[in-house]
Amino acid sequence: MTMSRKFFYGIMCAAGVVLAVTGIGTYALGHPPMTHWALMTHVAAAPLFALALAGVALTWAGACTRGAVSGLSGLAKFLFWVILLCGLIVLLTGVVPMTPVFGTRGQHTLYLLHRYSAIVLTAAILLHLPALFRRPAAKV
Amino acid sequence: MTTARAQGPQTRAGVLPGSLRRPTLAGLVLALAAFSASAKDLVTESRGPFLHNIQLHDAQDRVISPPAVVSDDGKPQDPKGNPYSTAQTCGKCHDYEAISQGWHFNAALDNAKPGRPGEPWVLTDPATYTQIPLSYRGWAGTFKPGDLGVANYDFVTNFARHLPGGGVGEPGKIDATDPKMGRMQITGALEIDCLICHQSTGGYDHEGRATALKGQDFRWAPTIAAGLGTFASFRSAGSIADQWHPGRPAPTTLPSIKYDRSKFDADNNVVFQVANRVPNGDCYYCHTSETALGDDRWHGDLDVHLRAGLLCVDCHRNGLDHMMVRGYEGEVRDRTVTDTAIDLRVRMLRRDNAALTEEQARPLAKQQLEKEIGLVETLSCRGCHTTGRLGSPALVHKGLPPIHLEKLSCTACHSGPFPGSSPVVVHTSLAHKLGLPAQMRGQETAPIIVEPVFLYGADGKIEPCKMVWPSYWARWKDGKATPMLPAEAAKAGTFPKQDSADAPRDPYNTKPLSDAQIQQVLASFPEDAGKGQAVFIASGKIFRLEQGKLVSAEDAAAKPYAWPLAHDVRPKVQALGARGCADCHSSDSPMYFATIAARGPVEPAESLSKGMWEMRSDDKTLASFFAFTFTFRLMLKCLVFACALVVLAVLTHYGLRGIGAITSPPATKKTAP
Repeated sequence: MTMSRKFFYGIMCAAGVVLAVTGIGTYALGHPPMTHWALMTHVAAAPLFALALAGVALTWAGACTRGAVSGLSGLAKFLFWVILLCGLIVLLTGVVPMTPVFGTRGQHTLYLLHRYSAIVLTAAILLHLPALFRRPAAKV
Repeated sequence: MTTARAQGPQTRAGVLPGSLRRPTLAGLVLALAAFSASAKDLVTESRGPFLHNIQLHDAQDRVISPPAVVSDDGKPQDPKGNPYSTAQTCGKCHDYEAISQGWHFNAALDNAKPGRPGEPWVLTDPATYTQIPLSYRGWAGTFKPGDLGVANYDFVTNFARHLPGGGVGEPGKIDATDPKMGRMQITGALEIDCLICHQSTGGYDHEGRATALKGQDFRWAPTIAAGLGTFASFRSAGSIADQWHPGRPAPTTLPSIKYDRSKFDADNNVVFQVANRVPNGDCYYCHTSETALGDDRWHGDLDVHLRAGLLCVDCHRNGLDHMMVRGYEGEVRDRTVTDTAIDLRVRMLRRDNAALTEEQARPLAKQQLEKEIGLVETLSCRGCHTTGRLGSPALVHKGLPPIHLEKLSCTACHSGPFPGSSPVVVHTSLAHKLGLPAQMRGQETAPIIVEPVFLYGADGKIEPCKMVWPSYWARWKDGKATPMLPAEAAKAGTFPKQDSADAPRDPYNTKPLSDAQIQQVLASFPEDAGKGQAVFIASGKIFRLEQGKLVSAEDAAAKPYAWPLAHDVRPKVQALGARGCADCHSSDSPMYFATIAARGPVEPAESLSKGMWEMRSDDKTLASFFAFTFTFRLMLKCLVFACALVVLAVLTHYGLRGIGAITSPPATKKTAP
């Protein structure tokens, strides 16, 4: 694994932890919606996550294609694409509400989409980490 | 009151059958008595107006019939008679008792829920620098008149100019031994004056009514205000009452009304031009709230709903019980189904179903009405704009994160004057006697009320409020301030006199008190260990003497009273946030950083001053930092969009490659020739 891959992946995980704690944490602890310092921390970590996700996309994608010999298991490759897809949804549903495109109903839908895709994203990252250390099954 | 049923029964009581047209007076009275017994049961149930061509009745329920121009023996006669009674005249067909439970009249009733804090009556006396918010409803921050020693009668005489009658002005029973209330044997009770709201032609004489009420001519005021006649005496009822002693019989010969004969037809009917959907002007007499003062008023745009053609009563409507819809979210919790409404519904149910007994019908009626009361919520801003009632445009709020709708009331962004670096002075009808001619009121005319101040409401949402700081002289004992009423303060202390040369310029005596003057006044109050130390409460502080020196400090007793404002609603392009997030999220946004200087009759340097965030006990660092982050908002958006684009490109690229790999035919191995 190259340094750049490790770097972007590490940043993504670190920012993801902050986002999950402030976002899902607030939701899970029963005090939604997110406000005050939690909101600001969430918003501050968001660009870092976005940058890291873009970096991960560029540096990891080639190694996660079907048939690529990269030492990654099939599960790790699959989870990578899940991370990327959910990450994209999370980014867009996070930033589109800041533009005068959607009204209250649309915004609410975006908010729900943001919430649930973030939960899937977090789960995918959590599963992806151990999957990285799993060797691909040797072909008989 | 949109329909005849909602408004209450409307009858043709005034038009008698032909056989009764020219009876003797006794016969007429008897016939009317028999007829009126069923008048409440007659309803028109039409959306069209009913011609109120009706006979007037006095307080004893006698038909008012001005004598002929010339008597039987040829002498000219004045058209004199008793004043008409609204309870007896309007009450013939409309359930006066039910109406008297309504929001405009029920403040002092024990069974009335106080509801959301509203505008208080402010007891104002410029000579003693007093402004005390009063309310019978017990809203926190106001004083109940009785607690201050203000008798109901005094309250009525003080504020009758804008009281619609009823309530404390019309006690169920007059105690003849009570030196205050006993006066009502002479002055009469202040009955609900239906025409103050329902007169539809603009012909209601508020000034005439106020003048009559100033003289405590309570019984006569509705007749005078309706333009039916004039007060036929040079002595007011108040002055007659001054000579009466409690316990003694009240005089029976009281002034009469000199009626305008042209108002009566041959059958002694009088036309009342009244309306269910009352004109806005009738509401504005008591509910004007003006921030564009004096000659600036022409700049005001009024409420956007009125400009669109709605009437106040289209939203602030009511049924027979006159429980006006106030229009705030959660109002349904503050409403109860009244017995009168249940009675009416029971009658309806039993009319449609003869098998129903009274006992069976009552719970059913209550159940139905409790369900219907929920409709009140559809007349709030949110209710109307989500259900589309009255053709209201649907809520859109493009670009506004939904959290704003959870944290802010609709009025926060849409109502009141557009917020600036500090709230502005607002004049209201109740506080500043608007609607009555007076010398031009100014920025410092007491009581000084400001708006908008953004505070948390009972539902935890930020809402714009009006605010007034109490100002009064008091006795301080055991950590509690007991206010002195203006008369008591004036008697006990020595107050600075306004320069007579300055009075024409400043008729409201608005020159603030200096430290030295406060000290002098406090020193002039006699020592009274029993009552406590004399103190002055004003502009958010308590002022007292300590070893002869004036000291001041913030105190709970000096806390302002605030109540939510809802009008005027601005057009959406003038809403907070229409120009962008920075309307609220910037380092100088009024929502957080406006300065609220406590206003009152002391020099501004002595006033308490706070930031808007402080009024709400918000965290300033948080607010400042949050506002600061908006500097990077555009950068954040661009960056995240760019990153999303990269991710999308990668997904698209590899996605298409994957699809290509799946759909392309398998490569065939070339064989050697």
